Formats: sequence, C-alpha cells, structure tokens
Amino acid sequence: MKDLENLTAELAGGRLSRREFVQRVVGLGLSSTAAFALMEACGQGSQSSGSIQLSFVTWSYGVSTIQDNIKKFQSSHKNVQIQFQDFAWTNYHDTMVARFTGKTPTDICYSSDHWLSEWAAARWITPLSSGFSDLTSYKSDYFPYVLQGMTYQGKLYGIPYYADTWAFLYNQDHLQRAGISTPPQTWEELTQQALEIKSKGIANYPVLLLFSQSDPGSIEVWESMVFSRQDGHLFDDNLNPVFNRAGSAAARVIDWIRDAMNNARIMDPASLTSEEIPVVKAMASGAHTFTILETYNQAELNKSGSGPFAGKFKMAPMPGETHNTVGYVRFYAVTDQLTRRPPDVQKAADQFLQYFGGKVNGTFSPVVVRWAVENGLGFGWKSLWDDQQVRTAFSQWGDPDMLRRNQELARIKEGLTKYFPDWDVFTRAELQKAYLGQTSTQAALDAMAEKWKSLKQGNS
Amino acid sequence: MANVTAATEAGPTPALRRRPGPGREAIYAYLTLLPVLLVVAAFSLYPILYAAYLSLHKELLTDPGDHHFVGFGNYADVFHSFYLVDSVTSTLVFVLMSVPAVMVFGLLVALLLNQAFAGAGILRVAVLLPWALPPVVSGIIWRWILNDDYGVLNSILRQLSIVHYAIPWLSNPQLARVALVFAQVWHEGPLAAIFLLAGLRAIPAETYGAARVDGAGWWAIFRHITLPLLRAPLLLVLIYETIVAAVTFDLVYIMTGGGPANATALVSWFAYTEVFKFVNLGNGSALAFLIAAALLVIILGYLRALRVESNR
Amino acid sequence: MTSARRKLLQKGGLWAATVVVLFFVLAPMLWILDSSFQGENELLTRPSHLLPQQPTVGNFDYIFTGAIPRSFEVTGTLRSRISQEAREVPQALENSIIVAVAVTIANAVLGALAAYSFARLRFAGKTLAFNFLLGSRLLPAIAVAIPYYAIINAANLLDTYTGLILVDLTFTLPFTVWFLRDHFRALPEEIEEAALIDGCGRLQVLFRIVLPLAAPGLVAAGAFAFMFSYNEFLFALLLTQTIKSQTLPVILASVATNPDASLALTAASVVLAMVPPLLFALGFQRFLARGLVAALGRT
Repeated sequence: MKDLENLTAELAGGRLSRREFVQRVVGLGLSSTAAFALMEACGQGSQSSGSIQLSFVTWSYGVSTIQDNIKKFQSSHKNVQIQFQDFAWTNYHDTMVARFTGKTPTDICYSSDHWLSEWAAARWITPLSSGFSDLTSYKSDYFPYVLQGMTYQGKLYGIPYYADTWAFLYNQDHLQRAGISTPPQTWEELTQQALEIKSKGIANYPVLLLFSQSDPGSIEVWESMVFSRQDGHLFDDNLNPVFNRAGSAAARVIDWIRDAMNNARIMDPASLTSEEIPVVKAMASGAHTFTILETYNQAELNKSGSGPFAGKFKMAPMPGETHNTVGYVRFYAVTDQLTRRPPDVQKAADQFLQYFGGKVNGTFSPVVVRWAVENGLGFGWKSLWDDQQVRTAFSQWGDPDMLRRNQELARIKEGLTKYFPDWDVFTRAELQKAYLGQTSTQAALDAMAEKWKSLKQGNS
Repeated sequence: MANVTAATEAGPTPALRRRPGPGREAIYAYLTLLPVLLVVAAFSLYPILYAAYLSLHKELLTDPGDHHFVGFGNYADVFHSFYLVDSVTSTLVFVLMSVPAVMVFGLLVALLLNQAFAGAGILRVAVLLPWALPPVVSGIIWRWILNDDYGVLNSILRQLSIVHYAIPWLSNPQLARVALVFAQVWHEGPLAAIFLLAGLRAIPAETYGAARVDGAGWWAIFRHITLPLLRAPLLLVLIYETIVAAVTFDLVYIMTGGGPANATALVSWFAYTEVFKFVNLGNGSALAFLIAAALLVIILGYLRALRVESNR
Repeated sequence: MTSARRKLLQKGGLWAATVVVLFFVLAPMLWILDSSFQGENELLTRPSHLLPQQPTVGNFDYIFTGAIPRSFEVTGTLRSRISQEAREVPQALENSIIVAVAVTIANAVLGALAAYSFARLRFAGKTLAFNFLLGSRLLPAIAVAIPYYAIINAANLLDTYTGLILVDLTFTLPFTVWFLRDHFRALPEEIEEAALIDGCGRLQVLFRIVLPLAAPGLVAAGAFAFMFSYNEFLFALLLTQTIKSQTLPVILASVATNPDASLALTAASVVLAMVPPLLFALGFQRFLARGLVAALGRT
C-alpha cells in the first residue's frame, strides 16, 4: 500500500507520466484496469495529448500472461495504453452482445468462429481490409479451418489468437491397469474398453464429456463426434440439414451417448453440467479415463503437479471410421468502433495486432510463440511447426506427430452462419433432452432441423 | 412548543378559519409530487409504449437495417416457440413447489418464534439474515454447497455413508429444480416467518385460553383457531411469494443457467435468452408483455380474493 | 408424566427445533466464510475440510492487493485461475454502497414529501396519482428491461451511477410513498393542525413535527430502499458495462459463473459482499421486521 501511495503522490505532483504510473502500478501486481481506476480517482481522468488508449476485451484464460504481454507491448510502444478487461468464457457471447449494443468503447476483442457471421452481419466487427491490410497477407500460411473460421462473405475478419483441434484424450495408466494395450479405434470399442475399466473398479464413469449448456465448446465436442463417423456431415452444400435423415451420423452419435449414459453407464451424467475446467480437473484427479478436450488441455493435464497422473495422458485419433474432428480458431477481431477513430489510433491498433497475433520484424511475434511454448495452445500458422522452440515444448507433453495428424484430420464446424449462435443455444438443450431420454433421437433431430429451417427462412 | 399549546387551548373554530387556502395547498402538493411522478412516469409510461413498439416490429440485431412492422408476428413466434410451453410448465412447477415450501417453513418458524423461551430472541434476529442477502449471493452459496465435486453437502453425505456416490444436484433435471427450491426457501422463508409471526401475535391470548378450558388439544386449536385467524396474512404471503417465484431470474442465472436440458429455464430466463442469446428484441419484448399480462391477471385475481377475505 | 417433566420436554423440544432452524439458516453462510479462508488446493480435496487445515488470508489478499495466492504456484496450472474480475470486488462494493445510499436518501426526502401530501392534503387528481404510483409496481422487471435500457442509453446514462439510481428509484419510490402515507396517516392530526394555525407552512410541519414522530417508519422505508438497491441484479446487469458503475451482484455473478476464476476467490468475494447487508439487517432488524409487517399488512 505504501508503494501505491508514493506512486499516486508522484502522479499527482506531475513527477510521473500517466504511462509510467500505469506500468508501475501493474508492476506492483494490480491489474491495468485498477491502475486506470486509480488514475481517475486522482483526477487524471482527462486524456493528455500524445497518449493513445485502446480498449482490449478477452475471456479469462491466462489473464496474468495477457497482462504481462500488454506490459511488454506498452514498454516498446510508449504512446499506447491498453485498457484490458476479461470476462467469463461461458458468458462471453452475451457479454459482448450487451457491450456492442450499448456501444461501450471496445476496440479489439477476442472472437470465435461460432460468432463471426453473427457479429459481422450485425456490423459489430469489420473486415481487416479496411485499414489493416498488412495482416491479410498471412492468409496462405493458415490451416484451412483457420482461414474458413475467420472469413465471412469472402472477407477476412481477424488474425488468430490461437487455433486448435478437439482431441480424444485418455489416461494411459487406467488402460494399462485394465490390461488394454491400445486406445479404441471405434466407438463400439470405446464402450467395450470403458465397461472393462468400470468392472475392474478403476473408474466408475470412465467417460466424461463437456456437454454443459453454457460452454460454447459443447457443440464442438458433439460435432467432432459426428465428424468422426462415416458420412459425418450435418448439412449439405446448400446448408440444408442432413442430420435428421434416418441412420445419419448425428443419430448414431446421440444413440451412443444415450446408451453410454443410461444403459452401459460408462458416461458420467454430470457431463451435462460440466464445463471445460471441471472436466480437466476431474480428469487430472483420475476420476475418469476418456474425454474429448482441446489439445492444449493435454499440456495442462500432463504438466507436473497437475495431479497423480501427470504425464500419463495421451492423445489418439477420434474413434470412428473417418477419425475426423473439429478444428476451430479464436481470433482477434477489430470492432466497427475502431474504424471510426483517428488514424493514429488505428495505426496503434495495427501495431498491437501485429504484436499479439502477427509477425514482428519478419518473425513470429513473441506473444504467438509464447502461447504455444508456455501454454501449449495450438496455433493457426502452418509454418510455426518449423520453430524449434515450439516443437520441443510440444514434445514435452504430447506427441507432435499425433498433433499434426489431428490438425490434418480436422474440419471446421458446419453451419457457421449468422444464425448459428441462435441455433447453437437451442441445440445444446435439445441434445441434452435426447441424452436424458426425454425425447427420442429422431424427435430431437427433427426439432433441430425445424429450428434451422425457420431461422434460415427468417434470415434470408 | 408554547405556541402550539396556546393554539390548542383556543378551541376548534379559530383553527379552521386560519388554515391556508386549498389553492395554495394544492400547489404545494403538486410540487412535492412532481419529482416522484416524473421519475415513475418516465420509467413506466414510456417504457410500456416503447416495449409495445418493439414487440410489433422486426428487431433482430443481426439485421440492423430492417425494422419493418410485423404486427403480431413476434407474438405468434413466441407462442409457437420451442420454449414457451416448457418454460411455462417449468415456472408453474417451480411456483407449485417453492411457494408451499416457503409458507410451510414460514409458518413453522413463526410458530416457534411465538413461543416464550430465550431461544426465540436469537432466532428472530438470525432468521432475517438470508432474506437480507442479494438473491445472487444466495444462488452462489447454494450452488457452492450442492456441487458434485467440491460441494460440502455431498461430502458430508458420503462421509456419513448415506450415499455411495455424489448426488448430482445440479446435473439431474429433477434434482436441479429441487435445488432451486432449496435456495428459494432459504432466501424467502424468513419473510414469510416474520410476517406470519406478526399475524400470530395479533391473535389475543384469551382466544386460546377459552379453547383450552374446553379441553381442546393443540392440533384442534391450531386447525380451528390459529389457521382461520391467520387467513389474511397467509393469503398475503401467498400472493407475494407467488409473484416472486414467477419472475425468479437471479437464482436461475447463477445456479443453473437454465439447464440441464432447460429443466430450470423459467419464463424470465427465456425473456433474457431472447435478447442476449437470440439477439431478437422483438420477440423478447413480446414475451415480456405476455408475462406482464399473465402476472396482472394473477395479481388481480388474488386481490379479489383478498377483498373477499377482508370483507368477511 | 408430571407437569414439570412435560414442561422440560417441551422446552427441550423447542430448543432442539431452534437449533435445527438456526443451523439451516446460518450454516450456508458460515460455510462460505469457512471456505474463503481455505486455499484453492484445500478446497478441492475430497472429502471437504469442515475447518481449514491450512487457513490462509491469501484470497482476500489477492482481491485487495493483487498478490497471487501461493496455492496457485504450488499446482502451477497453465490457465492461471485468476480473473482480474475478482480484483474489482472492492470497487464494486463501493459502487453498490454509493448507489444504495443515494437511493435511500432520495427515497427519504422525495418519498416523505410526496407521502405527506397524499396523507394530509386535498387536491385534484390525488386518487389518480396515487393509484398510478401503485399500479406502476405491477410491472415485472423483465417487461420493462429493454425499454429501460433504451431510455438510459438515449440519455447517455449507461454505465453511470445516475442511470442506476433513477431505475432503482422507479421501483422503490412507489412503495416508500405508499408505506409512509399510511404511517403519516396513523399519526394524530391535532399536533399538525395546531402548528398550522400558528402559521407554519406544510413543509415546516413536515420537517419539524411529523418526521421526528414518524422516525421509525422513515427508517424502515429507508432500510427497504437500501436493501432493494443493493440487492438489485437484473438492471444492474443490463445498465452497467464497466467497473466504473458495476455493482456487487453483477461482479459476483460474473466471478461465480466464470469457470476460470478460482473457487477460493469466489468465496472470498462473496464473503466481502455479504458484510454490508448482514450488518444492516442486524442493526435494523427491529425496524425491518416492523416495516415488513406494516408493508404487507395494509392493503
């Protein structure tokens, strides 16, 4: 507290610039938001010339890393101050809707391929071409699902924060104790192995999946299970539903889940209310054997100290005939508001985006490399595999060959339109009803198709 | 004060003659009412009109240019929506479960508080505390307690070997509804208790005395004397708690987010969902109007019952 | 059995029932207090520790100073289970109190003024105005949420104290006016009449005579207004965007539903949030109880 008092005194006395004040306060461990609040309280609220303020909104993953990256950016771009805020991932969409509608100052924010079409159609975010053309030149280096995930009506809307695939992870220790030598290749095999593990008392519910209604990942897990099967498609080329046809891959997936939960009892019913982090914690404690998570969670699970099974979590291709899975991209988006701000602000934003997601001096920015090396986050750039640091870091917790293979097997989610978020919210609940046996598989799929059609009509 | 005494001794007639005229009083009255009426009018008349406007036009945030008039299209959308029947059912179920629970809790605690013993004092102070907390906090506390993984309730049940595996309070649709009721009783029960206590206190002791002389047992006394005399307070608590239960939002937001499988998605939850998840302000406003209309009918019905009651 | 024995059993029964009710009412709050002094690791152990075995104030420390609790460093999770949202709790507490106090004062002043006029004065449109005020309470919050948002937005009052205060006033003033009117009516008119004869204006009568007599009622009305404003969630959620004006329920909801925020931090935040309303309820318990009875008793 003493340090803080000294700093505020210096600021008030004019011996410290506002930029230095923020840096020092952040250095004490407070957030930059608190620093700005302090400055306001000291009556330094008015913007002095020569200082550009950018508002940056994210969800709450790795906040201390983000704050550190911001600090480094600000030290090399002394005229820019970043106002940083983070919100829950599970509520991120709703929070941003409220923010955009209320026109709360937001310049750069995270977004996901789930919502790209919706936000672009509502003109809350803008294509990069209007003022950030340098960033569009990286297109050729992106994985296909990354490029698709950031493109709306032919225009590119962002640069990757990170991109990843949904991976089938298992606890190798459990398998060894059950006398199983290889992970399952098909969903039927998975059932068999799970029953074996359950009967030996190794895990009461060997399978745990993140199907919480509030987690945007739940639809991705489901779609990855659909993709992994023969004819694993939800829509045809004209975006008409094919998932409600008899015997479709979607139907087979729902049947499998319902059976796993209610008959074979190999899947934990708590899956219905489990978001990503509870799933990771439960896996780390050894309560379950099989799950589907983003690949970076394998790094989380295998980090030493994570639990009694650190290092024992392995990745296998998604069970199913095709082994396909979902690949996705979360990216930095530029808001419409930013394009209305003065040119020097936009230039600062451009530098910010390059620093956080692009290239600096021709090589990958330290932030991009850092997310991969320190957190194991997947990346959207094909050429990042050439970086020795990245390869070494990834081989600590995973198998780079398997990771690359998963990237090749990954496809972007189907149905990404401006009404996808709407359909997504409906579908998550409808699927849960089917898993619980409250409706039949066909009835649920028909309801989903109905909903899709009415949204498509209302939005054409 | 001397002036006042002198004035009262002067007698009634002089007082009437020297009162300020009604005209001046009226101006004073209007001035004092102005701030209050302005605020309330601004935030009730205009919003209703504006909400009506929104509900009659297409208001989809992903279609920012198109706000054409759709008549009752939004209302039709809401009536045919996938959620209307389910959420109304869920809300009815919640009301039918929580309101009696709250009232029984309130009545039992009120009866306890009405007894003459030292504990009543402590209890009377303590029992008000949950009601003073924001519903958001109640939701967080109960979500915390009922969690599968780290919830203390499951932990205790398992340690006492009452159950073998954690009870999925919030992952099972039926149990999730029960969990909501728990939180609601904890938060609203105190209100019912304090109010019914006042009702009990209003019953003169002689009434009981006479009955006991006649040899009536405690249950007979309760059924034939206490309950009938409590009818008016009970009805009032019933009205209030029904309305509170019907528009519950905070608890759902915190504890379940509407799930699992929309089992706890009450009507107020869907009004929120229409706006924030489906970004459809037209439907959201239409649904809000429908909820308001339904509540109005219920309230008027209750008020009529209350008038009948007080006329007895 | 003897009458003394029966009396003892009865007393025992009453005490037992009291303990049960006390437990139901207090245990949840005590548990979260307990949890806030446990580190993240300890909170996640099964079975739960009913008393902290390694008590720590690290969670509160983080909220006030940003010092990351040691337990995170021990496990070294990659996600850094911190949200800077938890750091916003003290500011949110301040916001909540400022808004609630403003609403209370406005209620006391404006509400008393209006209520007295309704209670004692005769003027055209009195019944209409009064019924209008009462009727406005029949609107459920959800129905007017979007229009309120539009009004506040148009007046450029989004994310300000003023916007929240105005909306809170809309919901509290009718109740305050109605409640105080009854209260004023119950006072004997003669004293006021006498003062009027002496040449006091209505305003003076109100301030010098009526308010002191009606003090308990005023306190009760003020207490309800404070509680409503402090506990209000839906409109605070809609009408605020940044910590500049976000109140405690909004921040708490955010932290509690954020899977990235550690459980220990959530517990500590909740404990901080509980202090004002609990102190308030303890201090004003008698007024609140009396006020509750009066409020629901008059129809």
